[in-house]
Amino acid sequence: MKLAKKNDIIIIAVVALIASGLAAWFLIKNAGAEKGAYAEIYYKSRLVERIHLTSAGEREFSVEEVPDVVFKIYDDGSIGFIKSDCPDKVCINSGRLSKKGHFAACLPNEIYVKIVAEESTGADIIIG
Amino acid sequence: MAQMKKLAALFILLITALSSGCTNKPNRYQAEFISLFDTVTVIVGYSESREDFTLLAEKIKNKLEEYHMLYDIYNEYEGINNIKTINDNAGTAPVQVDGKIIDLLEFALEQYEATGGAVNVAMGSVLSIWHDYRTRGINSPANAHLPPPELLREAARHTDIYDIKIDKELSTVYLNDPDMRLDVGAVAKGYAVEQTALWLERQGVTNLLLSVGGNVRAIGGKLDGEYPNMPWVISIRNPDKSAPDSDLMSVLIADGSLVSSGGYERYYTVDGARYHHIINPDTLMPSDYYEAVSVICPGSGMADALSTAIFNMPPKKSMNYIESIPNTEAIFIFKDGSIEYTSGFESLIYSNQ
Repeated sequence: MKLAKKNDIIIIAVVALIASGLAAWFLIKNAGAEKGAYAEIYYKSRLVERIHLTSAGEREFSVEEVPDVVFKIYDDGSIGFIKSDCPDKVCINSGRLSKKGHFAACLPNEIYVKIVAEESTGADIIIG
Repeated sequence: MAQMKKLAALFILLITALSSGCTNKPNRYQAEFISLFDTVTVIVGYSESREDFTLLAEKIKNKLEEYHMLYDIYNEYEGINNIKTINDNAGTAPVQVDGKIIDLLEFALEQYEATGGAVNVAMGSVLSIWHDYRTRGINSPANAHLPPPELLREAARHTDIYDIKIDKELSTVYLNDPDMRLDVGAVAKGYAVEQTALWLERQGVTNLLLSVGGNVRAIGGKLDGEYPNMPWVISIRNPDKSAPDSDLMSVLIADGSLVSSGGYERYYTVDGARYHHIINPDTLMPSDYYEAVSVICPGSGMADALSTAIFNMPPKKSMNYIESIPNTEAIFIFKDGSIEYTSGFESLIYSNQ
């Protein structure tokens, strides 16, 4: 009985070790996550542009299919709508996107942008 | 020595249990579309293959589309009587409709009564005035104006929810006021999401995350989390889009819903001041107690109605109201960036920012 108790403690320690190892691994994954962030721009459900945000540099651009919608990539690696001919401007008001899972859309123009990354930041969905 | 062996065996067992759990897990997939409810829909789930998940996502889209067409106030669809048909026949004739419309309106009436009128689907006449002024103001910022109070007050005379006459036997809806209009924007998305989730559960779906424009409903937990069936991690974006932290916090939800209401995305500017789209039924003006609120509770329909309702209530009242409802929590984000939440909310927080 005594021995069993001793073993229990060791098992817990092992489990705890594995758990903390996991936690550290998750943190490391998260810390590196933003480095590999890409913005994917979809028009009518078709991927029309994929941009590596951190290496893109500050600039404004449109996709060929929708010239009246203007995106801006900021020097901190975030991206946002800055101009659109849509009636409600919800796309612009969605602000700057930077983390995996962030998304924004200009529905009247059927254009959708989302941030993806090879590494996960941990959230299953991000809502605003 | 013997003890070490035992330990080693245990360690291997744990590792294999972890890794076999990984290899036998179905793959995680995500689908998005922007064609419904004037917003973005996201589906996260698990399937054996991409083909299986695509089929599931299409089934969900079709189910949501049924609700989208029925609850639409702007568009007509061939062969369907929807909310627009009811509005077009206000004061003229009862309209025969699908039971899904009657269920929604009865749910909306319940929420109207429970919240003391803080969420009212019969406010279409007032909301459409704001909608028109907002659209014009965005289109031409130099000529942005507020609706004249007398215009709003006149419209508000036609917002009595008891003028919605439902005949369940004949499955008809009649608006007993020719100037009344339904606007189900505050409840329809959440209600549709809830009905779709219940339908998926009946089909045997056990782990799925569905979000229609931030109306999030979780079925079960996630299969690829830190532990089996871990709750989904839902991150809430900072309503202050100029803040350095783009996300406010994340919360854990399994078998539950989260819905946010705020004025930070749909608004227009008049003389430098923002006027958003959530109109307080008492003042007929955009509600200005909070920057945003989020509600967490089991059902998405309830969460949607409650988030609008408490957005329209002063702070103490909203806090007390949510505290009085079982299994329901809320977070209140004020204009100065300060945050308050109900007593059980903290236990749902996964990480701050």
